[in-house]
Amino acid sequence: MSERALADNPLLQQFATNAATLPGAGTPWLDTRRADAIRLVRKNGIPNRRVETWKYSDLRNAVPDGFVGTICWKLDGPTDAVELFDLGMLGSETPDWVMQHLGTVVASRGTLDAASLALARTGLAIRIPSGTALQAPLKIAYSGGGHARMLFVVEAGASATIMEINRGEASNSCNIGVEIVVNRGAQCTHVNFEEAADSATRVTVEEISVEVMEGGQYRGHYFGLGSKLARVEVGIVLSGAGAQAHLSGTGVLHGERHYDVSTHVNHAVRDTRSTQLFKNIAAGHSRVIYQGKVTVREGAIGSDSSQTAKALLIGDRAEADLKPELEILTDDVKCSHGAAVGDLDADSLFYLRSRGIPEGHARTMLVRAFLEEAVEKIENEDVRTAAWQFVERGLAEAMKIYP
Amino acid sequence: MLEIENLHVSVGGKEIVKGLTLSVRPGEVHAIMGPNGSGKSTLSYALAGREGYEITHGRIFYKGADMTALSPEERSASGAFLAMQYPVEIPGVTTMNFLKTALNAQRRARGEDEFDAVSILRLVRGKAAALNIPEEMLKRALNVGFSGGEKKRLEILQMALFEPSLAILDETDSGLDIDALKLVAEGVNALRTPDRGMLIITHYQRLLNYIVPDRVHVLADGRIIAEGGKELAHELEARGYAGLIRDAA
Repeated sequence: MSERALADNPLLQQFATNAATLPGAGTPWLDTRRADAIRLVRKNGIPNRRVETWKYSDLRNAVPDGFVGTICWKLDGPTDAVELFDLGMLGSETPDWVMQHLGTVVASRGTLDAASLALARTGLAIRIPSGTALQAPLKIAYSGGGHARMLFVVEAGASATIMEINRGEASNSCNIGVEIVVNRGAQCTHVNFEEAADSATRVTVEEISVEVMEGGQYRGHYFGLGSKLARVEVGIVLSGAGAQAHLSGTGVLHGERHYDVSTHVNHAVRDTRSTQLFKNIAAGHSRVIYQGKVTVREGAIGSDSSQTAKALLIGDRAEADLKPELEILTDDVKCSHGAAVGDLDADSLFYLRSRGIPEGHARTMLVRAFLEEAVEKIENEDVRTAAWQFVERGLAEAMKIYP
Repeated sequence: MLEIENLHVSVGGKEIVKGLTLSVRPGEVHAIMGPNGSGKSTLSYALAGREGYEITHGRIFYKGADMTALSPEERSASGAFLAMQYPVEIPGVTTMNFLKTALNAQRRARGEDEFDAVSILRLVRGKAAALNIPEEMLKRALNVGFSGGEKKRLEILQMALFEPSLAILDETDSGLDIDALKLVAEGVNALRTPDRGMLIITHYQRLLNYIVPDRVHVLADGRIIAEGGKELAHELEARGYAGLIRDAA
């Protein structure tokens, strides 16, 4: 490794300093995966706007020190019904299922996903045993900064809801790599809440890689209030016939905040289905981004996908970049996509005001109504209520300019 | 109750209402009739305070005070109500929630106690039943998927609920079949009281068979060109607007 490359890339520096003391260092399979990952980091460098998928979120100057510190996680919920493994304890005692999957779900193998695999000192692996149906959600709350790694394996026929709550302190930038395996006929609902504390100096990036096997279903719901730079990158491979992925999300931003959801859904085989619905609000000088790519691979006939992204701008200095994209490499598929950025409908606003509802209240009602479709995609009522509470916190800030 | 003095209204820099004077006293029902493009809807929006409807000249006095500077919500809270020609569909807002929010917002603005959810529900149910509005409709998103008649009935339900002192009905008869028209007219007539004024804006005389006005004004090209009692509406029906406009010229 040249001195030059090291100096330019704090992630490589971190690896050079820490590789020998990472959990399980010296375990051959782990050393190999980490070495492969850091090779990718070296090859790609720090993501910046010259890279198409990072066009709107430039990391080069955002985290000059890489991601330093330690991310702590706390798990709540029906933990008795699942198998857990603390990834801080990686080594010779690692269970087979962790060894089998960790770092192998490559749906979104980007630089930061690789960096979290190579550099994480903390993390958690959860396995929902075959046939287990969890009613209550498993809740994971993060604190601190640095790199962390998560692995969720939902075995055949099992179902679970997993919530991640990333509500970090102001200055702790964090990078979390999440792998999710949805086995045959399994169902996984995954809810991600991304929220910076009051200050907006934090950078958070999360890479979510999902593989959905035959007849499995992944439902992903992503909610963000943004930070200096917040990005959720979702890569999904529908690898078995009948596999489905349904994604929805909402960003509610104010101030100078930034929130980027970038998705890539791969229809790898026939009769797979995906839907995406993202609704965003940007106020102040904030910037909300949705990039969504759907690839229908050769031979994936009978695939069905839809993508919708919409944004409402509050005030004239906010920005929304919505970029749905389709790549179809086969015939006989059904794909649709659409995007729209706009302001509140003047007729609706006047109608509500003419009925005595003050302007600020009327606007908030219309904004809620706009977001409703995306929030209501969450099937579990408790989780949906939590999502609304989260959204309301964002709206309280975003709608402040109106009396 | 309502005094409009030499009102001029422009929309997008183009003058639509060109010097209109009109006075409605408590207990009176006035009809404004006119062909398409005569300025009827512009007048109703200007009275309700819609943005973009610029009053370039003249004044609107309501209950003795100039209301041209009031916001739409302030006009509503002070008892003015506009039943719209095209009620807006708002997905994501249920009809019941809308009614509750609007009624309480008006009450709050007037310094009155707000209704709790149970009393509002009871109040709405009673008034909805009289207008043949099924409860299921109140649970749906506001005006979404409603037929033309349902939308108009919901406007009248709002009027019944808000109990305005000045009601302006803009083309409330358009798109209604005869049964719906009768129902709407009954709803309006039920609100005719000695302290309430009404302005019925319509293209056709048909509605006025059911809501008999005290005065009829004919609007053409932004001005009132003829005024009279209820018989003027019948004359219009017989002769058409063209004849009357010719006479006025």
